[in-house]
Amino acid sequence: MRGLAQRSESLDKGKRKVPELITTATPTINIHPLRCADFATLAQALDYAAQGVTGYNFYDGRGKLSAVLSDAELRRRALATAKRLHGLGLRRGERVALIAETSPEFMEFFYACQYGGFVPVPLPITINLGSRESYIERLRRLLYSCAPAAAMAPAEFLAFLQEAANGIDGLRKVASPEEFYALDEPAVQLDPSGPDDIAYLQYTSGSTRFPRGVVITQKAVMANLAGIVGPGLGVRSGDRCVSWLPFYHDMGLVGFVLGPLASQLSVDYLGTRDFAMRPRQWLSLLSNNQGTIAFSPPFGYDICARRVHQTEISRYDLSSWRVAGVGAETVYAETLERFADFLAPAGFSRRAFLPCYGLAESSLAVSFAALDQGILVDHVDRRALEGHMRASVIAPEPGRGERVSAFVNCGRPLPGHEVIVRDDDGKPLPYRHVGVVSVKGPSLMSGYFRDAVSTHVALGRDGWLNTGDLGYLTEAGLFITGRCKDLIIVNGRNIWPQDMERLAEEQPEVRVGDVTAFVATHPQGGEVVVMLVQCRLTEDTRRADLVSRLQRMIYGEFGINCRIELVPPKTLPRTSSGKLSRAEARRRFVQCVGWDRPNEEAIADAPKAVASG
Amino acid sequence: MADYEQILERLYTHLRPMAPADTILDEDTDLVSGLGLDSVNVMDLLLEIEEDFDISVPLNVLADIRTLSDLAHSIARLVEKG
Repeated sequence: MRGLAQRSESLDKGKRKVPELITTATPTINIHPLRCADFATLAQALDYAAQGVTGYNFYDGRGKLSAVLSDAELRRRALATAKRLHGLGLRRGERVALIAETSPEFMEFFYACQYGGFVPVPLPITINLGSRESYIERLRRLLYSCAPAAAMAPAEFLAFLQEAANGIDGLRKVASPEEFYALDEPAVQLDPSGPDDIAYLQYTSGSTRFPRGVVITQKAVMANLAGIVGPGLGVRSGDRCVSWLPFYHDMGLVGFVLGPLASQLSVDYLGTRDFAMRPRQWLSLLSNNQGTIAFSPPFGYDICARRVHQTEISRYDLSSWRVAGVGAETVYAETLERFADFLAPAGFSRRAFLPCYGLAESSLAVSFAALDQGILVDHVDRRALEGHMRASVIAPEPGRGERVSAFVNCGRPLPGHEVIVRDDDGKPLPYRHVGVVSVKGPSLMSGYFRDAVSTHVALGRDGWLNTGDLGYLTEAGLFITGRCKDLIIVNGRNIWPQDMERLAEEQPEVRVGDVTAFVATHPQGGEVVVMLVQCRLTEDTRRADLVSRLQRMIYGEFGINCRIELVPPKTLPRTSSGKLSRAEARRRFVQCVGWDRPNEEAIADAPKAVASG
Repeated sequence: MADYEQILERLYTHLRPMAPADTILDEDTDLVSGLGLDSVNVMDLLLEIEEDFDISVPLNVLADIRTLSDLAHSIARLVEKG
C-alpha cells in the first residue's frame, strides 16, 4: 500500500512540497455535530463529513500508519477524479469497475462515481498461491456481468485486470490510479447521483461461476445506513471504527466504508491479508486508538483466540470496544465465548458482542440484537426441529448434547423493515416455526443487474425478499438456522448440514471451514448424504481412521449413514464472499462420481453407504 | 546478501515442520498439491518469510507461485529490492 504523502506529492506537482512523513491519524472527536446518516445520497454524506476533521487511516501489516485520507481530502480528490471520468466520455449510470484493495485510491474512485453520476462496482482480490488463472477468470466473469465503461486496479493488480478485460466490449479505459491522474480534468458541471440513482453494484452473493450483481440505489443504502448507525449501533460522539474487512464485501463496504462516512467517524484499516497473517494487529489497533466499533465474521474471533499469544494480552486495553459485531456466517456461541474469556484480562466485555443478520440484497443489515446485551442463545429440541420444523425450547442439561441445537439471537429488524418467516406456499408462520426468512423494507435491492430471472426468484411479485435462509422468530427476535436449499432431508427428517459439519470440524485433524455436507441423488434411486472433508493427512491408516470415526459419530448423532470423501486442501468450492457453496460442491461431486451419467460403468459399484433413517 | 541457494535452504527449514513427515522437499515441490498447504499454513509461512527475510510479500506475487523454486526466486527479488 502506497502512502498518501507520496500521492499528494505527485498531485501537488509544482505546488509546495508535501512532507513525506505521515505522523498522525485523523482524530476521533469531530468539530461538527454528529449526523446519523440523515442524508439523501452518499455524495451529500461526504459533503457534510468533509466539513469536519474525521477520515480514513490505513495501517500496514506491522501496525505502521501508511496512509491517511481525511474526508475533506477525499472529497477534493473524488471531485477531480469524477471530472476525469467525464473527460473519458462516460455517460450517466455507466459502471466503473474497481479492484477493491484496502486503499485510499479505492475510496477516491468510489466517491468519484457518486459525484459523477456513475456506478462503482467493487471487484474482489482473491489471490492464493498459484491462482493467477482462476483469479483472472473470476474477474472476467464479473466484468462480463457488470459491463463497465472504465476499470481501475492498483498498479500491482493491473496486469490481472487487463488480462481479464481482454475482449470485454465497451471498456474505454483499464488503468491504474496514476494513469487516471494523468487524464484531463474538464471543467464539467458535476451532477451527483440522486436518491433514485444506483449507488453501487455488489457482487457478493451467487457463485463465482454465475455472479449476480446486487443493484442498490442511493435511497436504499441511505435507509440501511440510517438504521445501522442509528438504532443498530447507536453511534455517538467518541466512537471510532477499526476494520480489516475487505472493501468488496458488503460488511466491509457498507459497514466500514460508507457507514463511518455517513456518521462522520474516523476508521482505522488493516488489510484483510495482513489480518489473516497477524490477527493481533486488529486488537492492537483497537487498543492503541481506543476503537469502539469493530465487526468480524465468527472466524475472525476464532483466529484471534487461537493465534494471539496469551502473554500479549496484558499489553492490550480493549475496554473501549463497545460494539463487537458478528455476522456474515452462522454464529456459534462457543467461538465467541472462547474469545471473550481469552481477552477478558484486556478489558474486553462479552456484552460488546452484537450478533446481526443481513445480506447484500438488503444493502447490508436486516436485524441487530440489542446493544450491550451480548449473545443470547436459544436451545431447541433437535428432534422437533428435524421432524416438524419446530423450534421447541429444551433445557441444555448435561448428557442431552445430541438432542439440543443452539441458535444465536440475531435481534429485531431495523425500523421500517419487516421480517417474517414463511412456509413453502409463502404463508407467514407463527413464532418458533422454521421457514424461509423474508424481508421487506426500504433497504432492499432493486434487483440483480441485468438478471430478470434471478430477480424474480428473489423478490417475487409481492416485494418480499426471499433470503433463501431458514430461521424462526420468537418474542426475542430472529434466529437463523441455515440455508434453505442446503437442508438435508432424509426420510422426512430435516438435518442441518451445519450440524454435521460442526461435528467433523471438532476432530483434531479437521479445521473450521474444511467440511461441507449435502444430499445427492443416486441414479439407482435413493438419496445419499455426502460429506466432503478437506484433509492434509497422507498416511493411509490415519485417513482411514478419520473416515471411520466420522462415519461412526454421524451415525451415532444423526442416525444416518454418510459417504465421506477426503479431498485435498483448498478444493471445496466457495462463493465470491468466501462462504462454502454446498450446491456447487454437490454438483462437482455428482459429476466426479458419474451419477449424472446413469448409463456409464462408472457407477457400476453402488455407493458405499446409502442414507437410511 | 541472501542468494537463491541460501533462500532455498532457509525455506526448507520453515517448511519441514508444516510438511507431512515423509515428504521430500526440493525445488520442484508444489506448495499446495505437494505439501498440502491450506490457507492457514500459507499465512503462517508468509509470516515466517516476512519476519526472516525482513521483507513484505505483496499479494499479487502469490498468484504466480506454485513451487518452492518460484517462491525462492520471488523472495530473492524482494530482498534485492529492499
